[in-house]
Amino acid sequence: MFEFMEYNVAPWGHEITVYFFLIGMAAMVFVYASAPAVFGDLFGGTARIAMEPFQKIGMIISLILLLICGPLLIADLGQPSRFLYPIIHFHWTSPLSWGSVFLPLFGACVVGYLFALMTNRISWLKPIGILGCLLALAMPLYTGLDLMVQQARELWSNPTIPVLFVILSVSSGTAAVAVTELVTGKLNKSVVEFLHWFLYLAVAVTFALFLAEWVVLNYGSAEKQQIWHIINSQFAFEYWVLTFLVGILAPLILVAIPKIGRNPILLTLAAVLSAVGAYSFRAVLIYAGQLGQLYY
Amino acid sequence: MALGLQAPPSLGVPGKKRWAMVIDLRRCIGCMACVCADKAEYDVPLGVWRTIVKVKNTGKFPNTKRHFMPRLCNHCDNPPCVRNCPTQATYKHEDGFVLQRYERCIACRTCIAACPYNARHVLPKNRDRVKIGGVVDKCTFCNHRVEKGLLPACVQTCLGRSRIFGDLNDPKSEVSRLVATHSTVVLKPGKGTQPQVYYIKPDRSLTEQAYSEPVSHAAKEDAKAFYRHNRGSKFFSGVL
Repeated sequence: MFEFMEYNVAPWGHEITVYFFLIGMAAMVFVYASAPAVFGDLFGGTARIAMEPFQKIGMIISLILLLICGPLLIADLGQPSRFLYPIIHFHWTSPLSWGSVFLPLFGACVVGYLFALMTNRISWLKPIGILGCLLALAMPLYTGLDLMVQQARELWSNPTIPVLFVILSVSSGTAAVAVTELVTGKLNKSVVEFLHWFLYLAVAVTFALFLAEWVVLNYGSAEKQQIWHIINSQFAFEYWVLTFLVGILAPLILVAIPKIGRNPILLTLAAVLSAVGAYSFRAVLIYAGQLGQLYY
Repeated sequence: MALGLQAPPSLGVPGKKRWAMVIDLRRCIGCMACVCADKAEYDVPLGVWRTIVKVKNTGKFPNTKRHFMPRLCNHCDNPPCVRNCPTQATYKHEDGFVLQRYERCIACRTCIAACPYNARHVLPKNRDRVKIGGVVDKCTFCNHRVEKGLLPACVQTCLGRSRIFGDLNDPKSEVSRLVATHSTVVLKPGKGTQPQVYYIKPDRSLTEQAYSEPVSHAAKEDAKAFYRHNRGSKFFSGVL
């Protein structure tokens, strides 16, 4: 009758997944848009040639994504009016505190870069771009760290999670850039070459990390095996179809074949598919990671 | 190593207190008086608990047994909830209590995710009598009573004297004697949290997470119905 009298709450839901996805996308879009100023003539000037026309629109997209992310994160709090407390009462061992500091600083870099572009202050671009790129790297890293430090949840307490989140943000950022460039008719050969390299790298590393996760869950502790069972029963479609087939395997095949992979439309398709995978991979990890302990 | 705590672990430190609880499961009769006392002491709202008694049946007729397992915050000596709290709303008292500052909590639920024992919950907003709401709450080992020389409410009311509370650093205390002379078990010792609730003779169906899923059809259906009902509401977000 009373086999258990407590229904434990899985604390983090869709808001957090959407936030993790959008902040990763905003960060990588910033990296792409600031690439001409940050990397300049490095690597034969590829970044300057490919991404120079994307700078302004890229920063605007990054800003829009940030303007969605910030309020979404605040609205998710039980006490939204206290959203500055993680900065005021900073706790150095909490990744969430660090994220609360980095997020407005990243926003300031986006606004600063955009301001410098609009007012033609070219000398400002490189320092703001470098600082912004470091903060952009911190965005997916801190979201991954948020999960990694939860020693109670074995699916999350894993040093590959922050790396995976960075790689997933490369996929979703590439998708945002590819779609924008395709729509605005600027997806030329140099842009395709530039995006193709990043997407290939991102999807291949995601594939490797997906396999690593699969092995760890199957060969791991009782809790990991329990989570593997949960993934295969409740999240089978999201994990195998949306993440693996649609989000990893299909884009990997598309970008791996040289002739197909450099077709602008197919490259954009591959990038969008990898972004779908980036969302569903995060969603499965976040939800399934919480459910293992639901009945304990 | 204990990082990010406001007070270092005090277990075994001379001159410090380390409040702890021993739960003798040979004596627990599953009367739920501790749950009621706790609800009364803190006006705990419906749907959330500071302490519970888990019940699990094992075996098949005629070889069956019903096991009871009182559960509460373990007031860990190395609490991950404290380390992960971004505002230091949850903090460690020097005597071992893990407490909550309601006025600082932003209800980001990181501490709920961090707790291996599911000991934390979010208080609903707009409560009738107690005005504390929309923040995370937990068992406090009744520190307001302990500091006045009283026992925690659940210990005071326990009919079978299953719950025993005291200072583990005091060799003359009952908890010290019980921990020293009995085989005791703590929950999830491998997580490195150094929990300070000690169980005497628990069943593994209640201590190990792999066996924690409800066995009965009714309980499973209840759980699914609960999540269906709450899907889309705050903090549930359609996870199931």
